[in-house]
Formats: sequence, structure tokens, C-alpha cells
Amino acid sequence: MKNISKHQWYKTIGAAGFAAVIMAGCVSIPAPTEQIATAKVAVTNATNAGGNEFASEDMRAAQDKLDRAVQAMTAEDYKNARLLAEQAQADAQLAETKAHAAKAQKAAVTVQEDNHVLRNEIDRKSQ
Amino acid sequence: MQNYRFLPTSLLVVATLAGCSSMPETNPSLNEARNDYTAAKNNTQVINLAPTELKQAGDALDKANIAADKNEDTAVVTHLAYLAKQRVAIAQQTAEQKAAEKIVTDTATERSKIRLDARTEEANNANDKANKAQLNAEVSQQQANASQQQADASQQQAAMAQQQTRDAEVRTSQLETQLKELNAKKTERGLVITLGDVLFDTNKAQLKPGGTHSLQKLAGFLKQYPQRKAQIEGHTDSTGAAGYNQDLSERRANAVCTSLVDMGINSDRITTHGYGQESPVASNDTASGRQLNRRVEIILSEDNGNVTSR
Repeated sequence: MKNISKHQWYKTIGAAGFAAVIMAGCVSIPAPTEQIATAKVAVTNATNAGGNEFASEDMRAAQDKLDRAVQAMTAEDYKNARLLAEQAQADAQLAETKAHAAKAQKAAVTVQEDNHVLRNEIDRKSQ
Repeated sequence: MQNYRFLPTSLLVVATLAGCSSMPETNPSLNEARNDYTAAKNNTQVINLAPTELKQAGDALDKANIAADKNEDTAVVTHLAYLAKQRVAIAQQTAEQKAAEKIVTDTATERSKIRLDARTEEANNANDKANKAQLNAEVSQQQANASQQQADASQQQAAMAQQQTRDAEVRTSQLETQLKELNAKKTERGLVITLGDVLFDTNKAQLKPGGTHSLQKLAGFLKQYPQRKAQIEGHTDSTGAAGYNQDLSERRANAVCTSLVDMGINSDRITTHGYGQESPVASNDTASGRQLNRRVEIILSEDNGNVTSR
């Protein structure tokens, strides 16, 4: 090994280091704490908006995925935890939007009926 | 030895790259997301009412496409495709929500308009009623005024009638007074005023100055009652020839007529007649009788009447 120069030794170390960095990039995933928190907020918002009433399927999916994301967090399966949290957030947001849309449509029908009633009443009065 | 120096490093790099690569065939979840996005992008309601959400869906789909292009792990691409698909659905639901909210707003506006129209109509009706009432009131007022006017007119007529009655009474009393002054007598032929021989000297047809006094009263009377006509009749006593007496009586009647015309009485109202000695009122045997027979009688007609001849 004496004939190995100092220069060659550095080269070997550098290559090994490069490989280590690349492997770390593929395997090491940070804990998706933020995603879990965002998903929780989204599920809460959707529940408050009436998601269980107006978009029960999406709500169930969101809640289920959030639960699994939390479990994956506990198991330190950060990759799945992140994916599940992101999907839970998307599902919850869709449920919330569906609830808003359904409520608005209900309100539209109500006010239109009200107008109809009002118009009939006025027509009756003026006759 | 030198040839294999880098072998472990190279193997590691290859292994790492192989681990990250994905299968080349198209991900069905990505296809689904792309189709959904295309549909949303062609939906004008989504374009107009949920542009932000549509943009977010597009961004999410881009991420999934890039991951697929880079041949990333199927699970990652499927995940990103799922997120994109949910974003598209959120955009569509947002558009539905906004559309419904617009209906609510428009309907509320319409409601206000309906109410306003109704109130306007109500106000117009009330106004019409008020106008009608006003009109009725005016008509009633006019009727009342007309009634009042009629009442006033009736009152005036009554007053006028009373006045006329009073006037007539006054005239009647004046007439009576005047006729009394003229010694008028009521006969079948009318009122007869006898002027004695004081008017004329014997055998003369010339009025004596003192005689005109009685004639002035008569003229005044005729002026006051322009409807009345007068017949002037001359009479004599039987002294002298009948023909002469006839002529004398005519001349005397004419003298009285002329005198009255001179006093302003229209000659159309006066007729004259001479009767000579034919119509004595007393005996010609005595002087006092003959004096009574020498006379001029003036017969006054009633209003608008003519005097009937003897």
C-alpha cells in the first residue's frame, strides 16, 4: 500500500462519499410533521363545513388516510406518512368544497322557492 | 488493482439509479387525472368561476407529469396523479358552489325587485285611490256649490218676487192715490176720469191755463203706466145745434189729445171721439145739470187693453 499515493487515496474517499450522499437522498425522508398537521386542519375544517353530511365518502376517505398517516408516522414510515397525509388533505378539502357547494345549492333552491311564493302572494294580493 | 479501484463506487451509483427509476408504461391514475383536467379546462363554468382552483389543479398535474417523465416511482406518480385528480374535483365543486351562490345573490336581488315592484304598485294604487277620492271630493264640492248657487238663485228670485210684490203693491197704492186725485171711477169700460167744464170756456175748444193742471196729472199717470191706453171722449149739453155740439165735442177731445201729446204721450195710445150732446149724465133742464153734461171723459184701459167704444 506504500505505493499508493496520497492523491489516489483522496480519490477513493471522494467517490465513496458521493455515493453515500446519493443513497441518503433516496432513502432518508424527513418526518412529514407539517403535512400531518395540515391534513388534520383540513379534516377539521371539512367536518365543520358539514362534510359528514354532504360528502360522507370523501370525509371517510380523508379521516381514514389521516389515521393511517398518523400510524405510519408512529412507525417512522415517513414516506407513506407523507403521501397519506397529502391525500387526506386533498380528500378533506374536496369534502369541504362539496359541502359548501351543496349548501349553496340548497340555499339557491330555497331562495328561488321563496321568490316564487312571494310573487304568488303579491299576485294574489293585487288581484 | 488499479482497474477495479472505482468498481464498488460505480456499482453503488448504478444500484441507486435503478432503485429510483419507474416502469415506462403510462400510469392509469395519471391518465384519469389528465382526462378530468381536460374536461374541467373545457368547462366554461369552471374557467370563469374557479380559475384559481383550476390553476392549482394544472400545477398538480404538471408535477405528476414531470414525475412520470422522470420515470419516478409508480407509487409517487400515482400519488401525484391522485392529488391532481382531487384538485380538479375541488375546482369543479368550487365552480358549482360559486354558481349556486350567484343564484342566491341574483335571487335576493330579484326578491328586492319583486318587493319594490309590489310596493310601487301599492303606492300607485293608493295614489289612484287618493286621486279618485280627491276627484270625488271635488265633484261633491262642485255639486254643493251648484246647490248653493241654486239656493242663492232661489233666494234671489224669492227676494225679487217679494220686491216685485212690494213694487206692485207700491204701484197699486200709487195708482190708487193718483186715480183718487183724478177722481177716477171704475166702470165696465175701465177707469173713467171726468174732467169738468173747467177746462174750456163756453163754445171754446181752447184749454184754459188752469185746466192743464189736471191734464199734467193724467200725462204723468200715462207715463208711469205705458201699457195703458186712453180714449178721450168729448160731451156737450144740449144748448145749441146738435151738429155744432158734435163738432165742438170732437174739437175739445182733440184739444185734450194734442195737449197730452205735447206733454210726451205717444199719440198711438190715445184715441178721441166726440159724442156731442148725445150722452148726458144729468138733466139738461137745469144749469147744474148742463154743467155736468159739459165734460171730457177719459177712459183708461187696463194694462195692454184697448178701450171699448161706447
